[in-house]
Amino acid sequence: MNVSLSGPRGDRLRSISLSVFEGERIALLGRSGAGKSTLLAIANGSLRVDKGEVRWRGASIRTMPRRNKREIGMLWQDLLLVEELSVGQNVNSGALGRHNLIWGLANLLFNVDQSACKHCLQRAGLDAGLIERGLIDAPIRQLSGGQRQRVALARLLRQQPQLILADEPIANLDPAIASELLDHLLNRAPEGPLNCGAKAIVISLHQPELVQRFDRVIGLQDGELVMDQPSEQLTAADLSRLYEAG
Amino acid sequence: MNRLKPAAPLLTLLPAMALVPVLIVTWTGLHGGGLSIWQQFLLGALHPSLEPDLLQAVWHGLGVTMATALLSWSLSLLFGVLLGSACADVVWRSWSLPTWPATGLRRGLAIPRAVHELVWGLLLLQVFGLHPYVAVAAIAIPYSALVARIWRDHLDSADHRPLDALISAGVHPVSALMTALNPGMGTVLMSYGGYRLECALRSATLLGVFGLGGLGTELQLTLQSLQFRELWTGLWVLAAVMLILEQLLRFWRERSGVGVHGQRRILLFGTLAIVLGVIGTFWLRHIVPDQFSGLSWIGMEVPSWTQLNAAATELPWLRMILETLGLTVLAAGIAIGLPPLALLLWPSPRWHRCCSMFWACMRWIPPPLMVLLLLLSNRPSLAIGALAIGLHNSGVMGRLLLEGLQQQSDLRQEALRAMGSSERISWLYGLLSPQSPSYLAYGAYRSDVILRETVVVGVIGGSGLGWQLLESLSSFHWAAVVLVLCCYCALTISGESLSDRCRSLWLQS
Amino acid sequence: MTKPLTRVRKKGAVVLLALFCGQGATVLPAQAQSILRIGAIPDQNPERLNRRYGQLATELSDQLKVPVRYVPVSNYPAAVSAFRTGSLDLVWFGGLTGIQARLQTPGAQVLAQRAIDANFNSVFIANTSAGLQPISSIDGLKALNGKRFTFGSESSTSGRLMPQHFLAQAGVTPKQFAGGQAGFSGSHDATIALVQSGSYQAGALSEPVWNVAVKNGKVDPNKVKVIWKTPSFGNYHWVVRPNLDQRFGKGFTTKLQKAILGLAPTNERQKNILELFAAQRFVPAQESQYQPIEEVGRQLGKIR
Repeated sequence: MNVSLSGPRGDRLRSISLSVFEGERIALLGRSGAGKSTLLAIANGSLRVDKGEVRWRGASIRTMPRRNKREIGMLWQDLLLVEELSVGQNVNSGALGRHNLIWGLANLLFNVDQSACKHCLQRAGLDAGLIERGLIDAPIRQLSGGQRQRVALARLLRQQPQLILADEPIANLDPAIASELLDHLLNRAPEGPLNCGAKAIVISLHQPELVQRFDRVIGLQDGELVMDQPSEQLTAADLSRLYEAG
Repeated sequence: MNRLKPAAPLLTLLPAMALVPVLIVTWTGLHGGGLSIWQQFLLGALHPSLEPDLLQAVWHGLGVTMATALLSWSLSLLFGVLLGSACADVVWRSWSLPTWPATGLRRGLAIPRAVHELVWGLLLLQVFGLHPYVAVAAIAIPYSALVARIWRDHLDSADHRPLDALISAGVHPVSALMTALNPGMGTVLMSYGGYRLECALRSATLLGVFGLGGLGTELQLTLQSLQFRELWTGLWVLAAVMLILEQLLRFWRERSGVGVHGQRRILLFGTLAIVLGVIGTFWLRHIVPDQFSGLSWIGMEVPSWTQLNAAATELPWLRMILETLGLTVLAAGIAIGLPPLALLLWPSPRWHRCCSMFWACMRWIPPPLMVLLLLLSNRPSLAIGALAIGLHNSGVMGRLLLEGLQQQSDLRQEALRAMGSSERISWLYGLLSPQSPSYLAYGAYRSDVILRETVVVGVIGGSGLGWQLLESLSSFHWAAVVLVLCCYCALTISGESLSDRCRSLWLQS
Repeated sequence: MTKPLTRVRKKGAVVLLALFCGQGATVLPAQAQSILRIGAIPDQNPERLNRRYGQLATELSDQLKVPVRYVPVSNYPAAVSAFRTGSLDLVWFGGLTGIQARLQTPGAQVLAQRAIDANFNSVFIANTSAGLQPISSIDGLKALNGKRFTFGSESSTSGRLMPQHFLAQAGVTPKQFAGGQAGFSGSHDATIALVQSGSYQAGALSEPVWNVAVKNGKVDPNKVKVIWKTPSFGNYHWVVRPNLDQRFGKGFTTKLQKAILGLAPTNERQKNILELFAAQRFVPAQESQYQPIEEVGRQLGKIR
């Protein structure tokens, strides 16, 4: 399993080539505008590159059949939940790649597979009592910021991806919740997401102090790959260089 | 326990179920007897009549139509915005006043909206005689009420937090409203207001009632006498005008940016609407100068209580109301459900362009022509009427839907696609879902229009309230006219409260 | 790339607007006072209506020395109401609309009619596949029971009122047609087209319109046939408002009547006008001729 990418796109990203291997937990660092979101969007296939290629298990993700696409899961920075739909329908939309149009239509009529939905919501860290009190039928717009984040995470779990890409999942959360969410994402415990099929995870973030929880750190600067090393070898000097130089 | 609760995007698709019974009836009634006339009709498209007399008449008619459309459009926007603001709860709350007058006004505005402009024309004609301004008023009255409803709905459903912040900061309510709600409402005004101009242009058939001629009258009379070549001359001219208008509006929309520039555009649009109205006035005076004789009130007979009673007992009310409701529900189902269904079937840009062209055709062909064409190869039935009205209005709905979809970001669709969903599903979840609530709101307004339009399908068999209204008007049976209009108002009001309730039940909770 | 393009579009819009504004100039502004306004019910194609009444307006204007203007009203009840409210002075009405107009406008007079209008007929036509045989007596109309049947326009005398009356005499009411109601095609020509297509199995329309359609080859004799010709009744007539003498001078109504009755095929324009009306001459008409129609109208609820 490897993801490789090279070639510039616009002026945001210069030539980048990197691979992600099974079992890795990678932190993606860089200042705002360094190209982290762009890199993740390209890696996930929602942004097309002019040159170069993204390969997933040896196949280009552009020509890859769509059932393989669902093996790459993404947690967007602005979540991209569908506000007009209920929590349950949003969670189930993660599973749309596994089902046909009829299932998609049925999901709009009534929440299909409610138990799977609830399971994912619980694993994403939502309060079981809240779920039982009809959270599934609540529209997204009634939710708080932290709850939305968790619904998006539940959608990701429902997708059962092999690789998780998360774009600043903790940027807008208070430190306690952020830490808890990161725990959920990185947890290797039996109930953690990495245990339900996801074999690797890439998370972009702004908190260098958290990198010790990861296996590997990638640093971007002005669209260029400037750092790629195991997190144990990371020094404070490396980090300050990444965040200071203009 | 799974509760059956259709989500917004599905609610836009479900009305298309109306197609099933309609198509079954249409299919079983299909016959080839009208093929020769169809052939004549289609051949007429290639050889429209180019006789100088006719061209001159069409040219003159075009001028009258354009001038009246501009004037009535400008008036309906002006009054629509004023009335719509007056019946919005948020406006009354800004002055810390109770909101019941707004509710009352809102219910009252259902009356002008419930009556077709043709009927307004005939009623006003009774008391004012033939006068171009009366014709303009007949178009502007129902249109103002319609614009008022849309304006009010958007005002009340907008985000009120910035407004509340300004009010609590002690800003004068007028400037607070202007500052807080202007940007969003300006977009509504430009997008919906621009589209109303096309409606005003098409509805100018009414001008013939006032002896003003006009393109619509030309179309109506050539259709009645089945002069297809002459009919096509008018149709092509109408198509050209609609196309030019569409291009101008698109050009305008593409130019309007965001921020300060956008604000300026909106102000400019408002000014332009008023200026065009003034131009329309002078233009009309210039084209038909000798029809502007003095405008005076001419009395008419008011039906007495006993006459009303007699009329109430002689007409088959239940059957008429049921037929009208059936026709409206089927037609509205087709009009609302068909566009999203068609787009869903094959969500590719090329197919969407095809759909867009098809809908332009549907809007372009006047409903009476559509009914006649369908009826030439089918047995008369309610389904034919529903199909004709539904198809015509699906053109309008399709246009609004595509426009809304184009203005919307496709990030969610991309996200779903990246999760491995199919094209159709990612379009349905990612693009149609966010658009659904406003599309359904427009669908509710369209149902109002469709209810009024049931007036035009007497040819499928004289039945329903619409036909009875025309029959009573042509018999000058005012008691029956009053009662049928009351029925229309009642249906409109109950339809409105039903759709409000459905929306709050399905979309908000 | 976009800039030159938009400039062209802008220029196009200006040119277009200028053209539209300019086109009003083709109609000469006229003095707004004391115009004699003539009108008609919209029973023809608009081009023919315009030629017919345009020429008549010029002719009357020349003869009577007053400005005459044709106002093209496109709706039957609108023509009646415009006459009542004084917006139209002289109108070519059908039998039913003429009576409605005169009843609503006390003092209105019948000026003239064509020779054929005293003995006007309707025809019942049927699609050959409907299995309807030609009818010899009025009772034969019973055969229409349960068929799909269409009238013309709601206010038409020959396309609706009299056919419905004869049907009623034979004991057939619209409720007995297939679907429990009759259709209203909107015009005589549409009736022919719809019956010929087979969508409706039978219909009724004015005989002259049928004859013209047959002559012009618009009727397929294998598909549609006349099954019955109705007894004759009075139809079209000129009706004039009561106050013309006050507005245009004493004796104006008589002069107007003379001008209409005096139209003769001797002069080129008058010949044209009469041809457009499909008449040899206009002849005086009596109100009493329309008495039967009024009664029928009252019976069927078209006159209140």
